[in-house]
Amino acid sequence: MTALKLFNPLLRSILLAVLFGSITVGAQAQVNVDVPTNIRVGISLSGSGSSAATEVLSADLKRTGMISPVGAGSGDYIASGEATDSGVTGKLVKKTGEEVFSQTFSGKPRAAVHQFADAITKAVTGLPGFASSKLAFISDATGAKELYLGDIDGYGAHAITHDGVISASPSLSHDGSKLTYTSYKSGYPDIYLIDLSSGSRNRIAFFPGINSGPAFSPDGSQIAMTLSKDGNPEVYVMPASGGSPTRLTRTRGAETSPSWSPTGDRLVYSSDDRGSPQLFISSSTDVSEMDHLVTGNSYCTKPDWSPDGKLICFTTRTGGQFQIGVFDVASRTAHLITTSGGQDPAWAADSRHLVYSNNGHLYLLDVVSHQSLPIDTAVGGAGEPTVSR
Amino acid sequence: MNKKCLGTLLIIATLALAACDDNKDKNYSGMGTENGGLPTGDNVDLNSGIPPTRPDGINPDKDVNYSTLAADTVYFAFDSSTIPGAERAKLGAVADWLKANQGRSLFLAGHADKRGTPEYNRALGERRALAVREYLAGLGVPAASLYTNSYGSDRPAVQGDTEEAYAKNRRVEIGVIIKP
Repeated sequence: MTALKLFNPLLRSILLAVLFGSITVGAQAQVNVDVPTNIRVGISLSGSGSSAATEVLSADLKRTGMISPVGAGSGDYIASGEATDSGVTGKLVKKTGEEVFSQTFSGKPRAAVHQFADAITKAVTGLPGFASSKLAFISDATGAKELYLGDIDGYGAHAITHDGVISASPSLSHDGSKLTYTSYKSGYPDIYLIDLSSGSRNRIAFFPGINSGPAFSPDGSQIAMTLSKDGNPEVYVMPASGGSPTRLTRTRGAETSPSWSPTGDRLVYSSDDRGSPQLFISSSTDVSEMDHLVTGNSYCTKPDWSPDGKLICFTTRTGGQFQIGVFDVASRTAHLITTSGGQDPAWAADSRHLVYSNNGHLYLLDVVSHQSLPIDTAVGGAGEPTVSR
Repeated sequence: MNKKCLGTLLIIATLALAACDDNKDKNYSGMGTENGGLPTGDNVDLNSGIPPTRPDGINPDKDVNYSTLAADTVYFAFDSSTIPGAERAKLGAVADWLKANQGRSLFLAGHADKRGTPEYNRALGERRALAVREYLAGLGVPAASLYTNSYGSDRPAVQGDTEEAYAKNRRVEIGVIIKP
């Protein structure tokens, strides 16, 4: 009789829920219950540019995945201000009327609105916004692989090289002022540095062999890169102003795509020294023990370390398709966060969103909700995105 | 020989080695010369192959003829830079051609199929080119006459998403540098 009681409907559904629940939890991202979702911010802008500004501001806030822009009358917060040609004077108050901040954002209208959006995002979620971030990428739309630069919402993407040769692996400095990338302008893959405000471009690494995959350190003073000048593709670090590179890896395999920890003391990169490419962490100053990151995937390339240091995203290849994976640094576990394809991910400033490419299009992915939204740059054949922070 | 002579010889040898060490501090800055200086014996790493070089005054896109030795293009297995046994005879033929054509130099261009991410493919193409160079050097071809470059997956020989296309793109092409 007692045994039969075990199979009563209530107990059975509890058992099933526990079983089913544990399976689904394993397959999904860890949802942090402290992460805010659906904070309602009412928008009330005046001024000559108010209509366009409201549209941009709403889109920026919505894109965070945590904020719902609503009408002026309602909301947990009210964002108000004046938008003109010279910028935005913005104010954020709680629905109680308590002021959170009041600030003037000077500059071109769209940029000023993005800054206002970022200030609101930071104030209401605690996370940095990424509306002001720049996005650079490679496109072969013209027949040759050129370098493009625009805003992270896709606006204003335009070619900044017109060399008619292969351009590759761009990396924006975190402050968005400089860009480093690989170009075959000399006939060989060399690394160049572009100052985005002056437009000047200088070749900074052109050793024999390949010079590729450059990545700015968090403070912008150094660039990590792959060089094969000593007989094999290895990771090196070089001052951004030019100078002798310091070698950091010594293996028989190829080490590529270094990415800096936010504290600048370590690098994560891909190495195929064990057969297929895997992720490793090493010191950014000396040759050191290579710490293998076990992801459960047999092909892992192009890692990127999140701004808050907690996650490393990467490209993996399964069933003949690329997918994006995320490795949790503290728990040393990994899971895939795309199912329809994706590669070459780059983190946005909030460590929650990243930009990746799939079949020539760029997408913004929320690693908490796993939702991908297309970034409309109006440029086809796009890949290898990099994002400023 | 007496201890004093030995001591002097040791000092001289140490000083000579120290002079070689100067090359370790040599500035390989991008502001320097095209080849940034040749590494000395001290910088050769047992884990690495022969360091690559770039030919002076040669435009890789204009001054290399890939037709002459097109039949000897070396093909590779997926994600691999090991020269398959079946391909080695081609490199024997290349070495023979060089013996018959003294003074010519080769430009070995490494490629990968598109199934890798761009940066990894660039390194894979490089490893393939360096592997071919090393193998030819092992056959007695002077390393100084062998140059390399990698194009990653950016210059496929065959377009398409079939296994046949991919197989044709995982290659090192043996280019002959046109005599000046």
